[in-house]
Amino acid sequence: MVKAVRGVLIECEPAIKSILVHIDSTHHHEFIIEDLDETHLFVKEAMLHILKQKLEERLKETYRPEEPLEDSD
Amino acid sequence: MPPKRKAPGGQANAAKAGRVSAMSTPGPATPRSLDSSVMSEADEDFDEDVSEAQREREAMLSKEADEFVNKFTIGSRRMQGQTDDKEVRRFDSATPFFRKRDFSHLPLKPDHQNRPLWIDPYECTVVLERFHPLAEQATDFLITIAEPKSRPTFLHEYALTPHSLYAAVSVGLRPKDIINTLERFLKTALPDMVRTKIEEYTRSFGKVKLVLKHNKYYVETMDAQVLQTLLKDEEIGKLRVHGSDKVTTSHAPTLGGLVIPGTQNAAGVHQANLKQAGMKPGEAADASNEADLFTALNEEDDDDDKEAVHAFEISDADVEAVQKRCLDIGYPILEEYDFRNDDVNPNLEIDLRPNTQIRPYQEKSLSKMFGNGRAKSGIIVLPCGAGKTLVGITAACTIKKGVIVLCTSSMSVVQWRQEFLKWSNINPDDIAIFTAESKNKFSGSTGIIVTTYSMVTNSRERSHDSKKMMDFLRGREWGLMLLDEVHVVPADMFRRVISSIKSHSKLGLTATLLREDDKINHLNFLIGPKLYEANWMELSQQGHIAKVQCAEVWCPMPTEFYDEYLRANSRMKRTLYAMNPRKFQACQYLINYHEARGDKIIVFSDELYSLKQYALKLKKVFIYGGTSQAERMQVLENFQHNPEVNTLFLSKIGDTSLDLPEATCLIQISSHFGSRRQEAQRLGRILRAKRRNDEGFNAFFYSLVSKDTQEMYYSSKRQAFLVDQGYAFKVITQLANLEKTPDLAFGTPQECRELLQRTLVDNERGAEDDVETDDLFGKVSRRAGGNGGGGRKGNGVRRTAGMLSELAGGQDMAYIEQNKAANKALKAAAGRKKGGAGPGEQSKFFKGIQREKEKSRARAG
Amino acid sequence: MSVAQQQSYQLSDYLEKLPGTTFRKLYQQPSTAFAIFRRMLPPLAKVFVQALLYAPAPLLLSELDVWVRPEGKMHRDRALSILRSLHIIQITPPGKDKPQEMQLTTNFRNSMRLALEGGGSHNSFGVPSTLPVDPRIDIAYLDHYARKKWEDILHYIVNSVPVDGETGGGGSSFSGGPKASVKDLLLIGRLVERRPDTRGGVGITQAGFTFLLQEANAQVWTLLLLWLEAADRAKSAAEQAKGPASNAAKSDSIDMLSFLFMLASLELGRAYDTDALTETRRNMLPALVDFGLIYIPREDTRQYFPTRLATTLTSSASALRSVSSGFSAATANNLGDAASLGTTPDSSGASKGSIIIETNYRLYAYTSSPLQIAVLALFTHLNMRFPGMVTGRLTRDSIRRAIGFGITADQIISYLASHAHEQMVRAAAATGRPVLPPTVVDQIRLWQIENERMTTSAGFLFKDFDSLEEYVSLSSYAEEIGVLMWKSDRKRMFYANKIEQLRDYLKSRKKAE
Repeated sequence: MVKAVRGVLIECEPAIKSILVHIDSTHHHEFIIEDLDETHLFVKEAMLHILKQKLEERLKETYRPEEPLEDSD
Repeated sequence: MPPKRKAPGGQANAAKAGRVSAMSTPGPATPRSLDSSVMSEADEDFDEDVSEAQREREAMLSKEADEFVNKFTIGSRRMQGQTDDKEVRRFDSATPFFRKRDFSHLPLKPDHQNRPLWIDPYECTVVLERFHPLAEQATDFLITIAEPKSRPTFLHEYALTPHSLYAAVSVGLRPKDIINTLERFLKTALPDMVRTKIEEYTRSFGKVKLVLKHNKYYVETMDAQVLQTLLKDEEIGKLRVHGSDKVTTSHAPTLGGLVIPGTQNAAGVHQANLKQAGMKPGEAADASNEADLFTALNEEDDDDDKEAVHAFEISDADVEAVQKRCLDIGYPILEEYDFRNDDVNPNLEIDLRPNTQIRPYQEKSLSKMFGNGRAKSGIIVLPCGAGKTLVGITAACTIKKGVIVLCTSSMSVVQWRQEFLKWSNINPDDIAIFTAESKNKFSGSTGIIVTTYSMVTNSRERSHDSKKMMDFLRGREWGLMLLDEVHVVPADMFRRVISSIKSHSKLGLTATLLREDDKINHLNFLIGPKLYEANWMELSQQGHIAKVQCAEVWCPMPTEFYDEYLRANSRMKRTLYAMNPRKFQACQYLINYHEARGDKIIVFSDELYSLKQYALKLKKVFIYGGTSQAERMQVLENFQHNPEVNTLFLSKIGDTSLDLPEATCLIQISSHFGSRRQEAQRLGRILRAKRRNDEGFNAFFYSLVSKDTQEMYYSSKRQAFLVDQGYAFKVITQLANLEKTPDLAFGTPQECRELLQRTLVDNERGAEDDVETDDLFGKVSRRAGGNGGGGRKGNGVRRTAGMLSELAGGQDMAYIEQNKAANKALKAAAGRKKGGAGPGEQSKFFKGIQREKEKSRARAG
Repeated sequence: MSVAQQQSYQLSDYLEKLPGTTFRKLYQQPSTAFAIFRRMLPPLAKVFVQALLYAPAPLLLSELDVWVRPEGKMHRDRALSILRSLHIIQITPPGKDKPQEMQLTTNFRNSMRLALEGGGSHNSFGVPSTLPVDPRIDIAYLDHYARKKWEDILHYIVNSVPVDGETGGGGSSFSGGPKASVKDLLLIGRLVERRPDTRGGVGITQAGFTFLLQEANAQVWTLLLLWLEAADRAKSAAEQAKGPASNAAKSDSIDMLSFLFMLASLELGRAYDTDALTETRRNMLPALVDFGLIYIPREDTRQYFPTRLATTLTSSASALRSVSSGFSAATANNLGDAASLGTTPDSSGASKGSIIIETNYRLYAYTSSPLQIAVLALFTHLNMRFPGMVTGRLTRDSIRRAIGFGITADQIISYLASHAHEQMVRAAAATGRPVLPPTVVDQIRLWQIENERMTTSAGFLFKDFDSLEEYVSLSSYAEEIGVLMWKSDRKRMFYANKIEQLRDYLKSRKKAE
């Protein structure tokens, strides 16, 4: 019987997908509903916000943090 | 913050922990802890077998250095002051964007357009218009009083810090000169806060000097009040030499006809005329005032307050006690050497050869050292390839007393001696070498000894000859101690050198006064203030060093690699981002491209596994810690002269003291985390390119980074120093026609998978021994302690040792020593992997490469 | 239409959409014909117009070949195309028997001649007031007034940028701001939009940012055209309610446009008579006062003074540069301003670019204007402010924040390029390299791309089909109605962003079975 599952389609670069899958696998698989292909994922709508946050945290590791200007105490 | 001294026992663990945490959370604060743990690892590695007395002396020096650093840091970190309540602040809708740093209320002078500087009263950041007609003079002034922060094209930023002011005072500037000159260059009135800070911070600096005259130590001051303070001090008063109760008073020293060899003055050209020649008529008068400021300050003493110098004698034995006490009561002592009046130490027959002319920036840096006719101790910072050696030699020729030169490797020892012979007229018998292989003394009453840091700090298992040599070194007074590459040497090592060998003046030389730890400040105490720091871009525009195009090439990781990367531990992550097949292809592409252009290429990899894999797969020569001395020489010889050998793979042992003017292109495939210093040092490898003055010549510096990995983070951090020097890194996201590269490696998914599997298996086993030992030319010596030598027990221990020593990027030096047995095994292993060892076999290797090349040429044709 | 759909809304775009009949009416006014000639035509087109103006007979198109060198053909074609689209010339259609001819359109020719020769009783160039003029109302006064009005508007837009934390931007508490009608206009034109998360309740849009980055003159036109359109819509809505025949409305908007062109021909510092205006034009006065284009003394509403904003409306681009510099010098922030110290408005360097961007992303801007600083703050991490100069840095965060507002990397780059300091321009010319450091330009773009690495959309995943046929049928239907976003034939799954129609389709399929 055909099913229609509610959720969010994520279209992204393969590297981003890899990170998302990795986040999911280290968080009891609570984000991803279906791994669609190299550039698409289907995830839980309610978890999207947290997933995006976690992704941003991960990506931050790959960029230089803002060099503090002398004024930032 | 003062560096914490860790208990020796806990060091290895602490270092390991520091590293792990730094890897997992590379936040802005962690790199420091990472690298300081690295440094403490270095401390552990060097020899523990020293006398109790020596140990005490070192401990004391260490504590003093900490105090010295504290004095400059705690509570005055950036000379922050209170808001001046009287100031009328302006407020408009743009003010909130700047928080506290809206200084638009500062009154502009009516002729502000004729002045090149702004200053921020809180942080004392100075902004300079480089395009201003007075920029040259202002730069000269700023480099003396402030720390350069940003020196790109149009606007430069400097910071006034307690350290920089200390340096300014020590080269002879007086607070009122600093204030007046600053006032003259500023577009706005000098804020009171800045004035107060300068006065406050310079009040006690440079007031007290320690002078060695007629082989007696004198404490000197120009301030009668300070003299009274010192004499009344309960400790210092006692130490004054009895029987010489009188305080001598004489006139302040002046440059007084001292001529630095190789300079314009020496050539008989009057400096003032020369400087004025370049000025526009209208500015001439004012500008020459500025230009002469530094020399003039010392030469013409104000007639109105005729400055007298008061001095009293102390005994040799009490020097350290007095030094320490002076620091405690807030008068850090400056050391000066009145070498012209030193009748006790014999003069050395040395002068620059008549045809030797030093470059303007070399002269400028030396004029800081010899500003008042005496030799001041300190550090001179010049980019690699800008002629640091000649600066050191010229200093030696100025002082003309016994010199001891300390280098980082036995190869640079040889180079230093050669340079001395090349540039100066010194009698070859007067310059001797002290290394493991050679332990000569000079023949005459005085001379020059060139040696390595490790030779003079390593007291254990010294041969009889070495012991005798050390006694010789310790037993005499040296006029000048030249300290090469001061940035790589751990502070503790300096401490040992300085407390065991007596010298009247010390000159530190380096390209990058940068350490990721906090021990740079210790150098100020141990050696002296930074006397001069050259501007890289300027030297490159003037053709003294090569122009370089820098690029960061982004190499995406194939999905399978990347998935593995995400799961891997931090050690494996490093291997994976180095072994990224796309990076390999990029490297191959760039090598092909630049070899075709006629470039000579150095490829750097910190990661030994990938170094070997790349070199073997691409059939290129390589050198790493395990390569024998003979093989190294042969490979380098070929790289320099054999037109068939154009690419050389190097591990980080080639970061410093490698002089290959043939190299014109540099590719970096793996590097030491976020080390700004390593990046600058590596860039330095191509700055002295022989072809640098060819029309339109550019050297190339590529950093290959795997996309979306921590390498990206480290890469931009590494570049920070160079970027602030004005270098621009172009990001290349795609290399044009990469896929058209002939015989592109790992072109199919199958090959990529195999590479991944092999990489995982090889590194899982820990088969590769990645213990990096000395620098490129140093001897491979034994490893101290049970760390490496006993490591045969299990892979875990061995791997730890390897990781730690590799992490210790700060010390590519021989004091990480290695057990002889391990060394042999390592050599054999290296030989086996290459299918042969020894020079004879090696030439077969070269023949192989040549055959391969001919074949491929035949195919192409 | 709204500006949001366009990068910037320009007069030429507006005019080109007008029908020929409108042009015929517009060109009845000599001031309009002259203004269009001055402002809208490239130099070559002006030459053509001058040649045709007193030509006794139509000119053969082929004769142009004598005037224009073959390599200038592109310019010639462009000039002709502009002249035709503005209904200034007519060209006979190509035919076998007769060569093509061109001539000026009648109204344009007549008005242009009148404008040049004077005469006629059209009052097209305004009627100076005969009443005594308050001596305090001089050019400096008018400049100050206009600047205040205009900057209020710009500040309102800039300050609609959401603020970070308690400090930074957010100056909506500053001096009153523009009139409510102007605020409404900005909303209608979508330069700002309502946003509850900002202090002022409105947020800047991408079009708003584009607007801020324009030259002052282009900004004025953008706002005026928004206003004309809004007036048109309001009128035609009213007319439709009453019934057909919206001719009155149309003639009104033509009159409005003509009035703007007329204002442009007036003399700065002079008083004009309000009684001589048509009713439509008199009705426009309050709005024009709000924009700062004219000044009307409170005591005597029978006089109006055009400000520099109005008199430069149709200046040619090259003239504009000096005029706008005069304006910005005259309207420069205040006494402490470095740029205005000891300089007369005309010789001021204010029109020169003020921004230096270094290879290490540090940015320096020679400005004291809170407005320009606020614009910089949109994409710069500002650091220090000195009299006449501010420092800051482009950072990943500052650029990404700007991109979050809908500002594009290209807009930032073009702003930096068009405001580049002369030192940068000079250095670039000397070395033959681009004005902006290429690495910085690349990095700004890379920061934008970083933001585009992932897109999300909420919807439904269809899976577990009973048969391949069912999958194929439903997925093709989804594709047909444009809701299919992703599918995999192998997995027999597809994703659609809407479900309603697919549900209905399934139901009807069930029934049919």
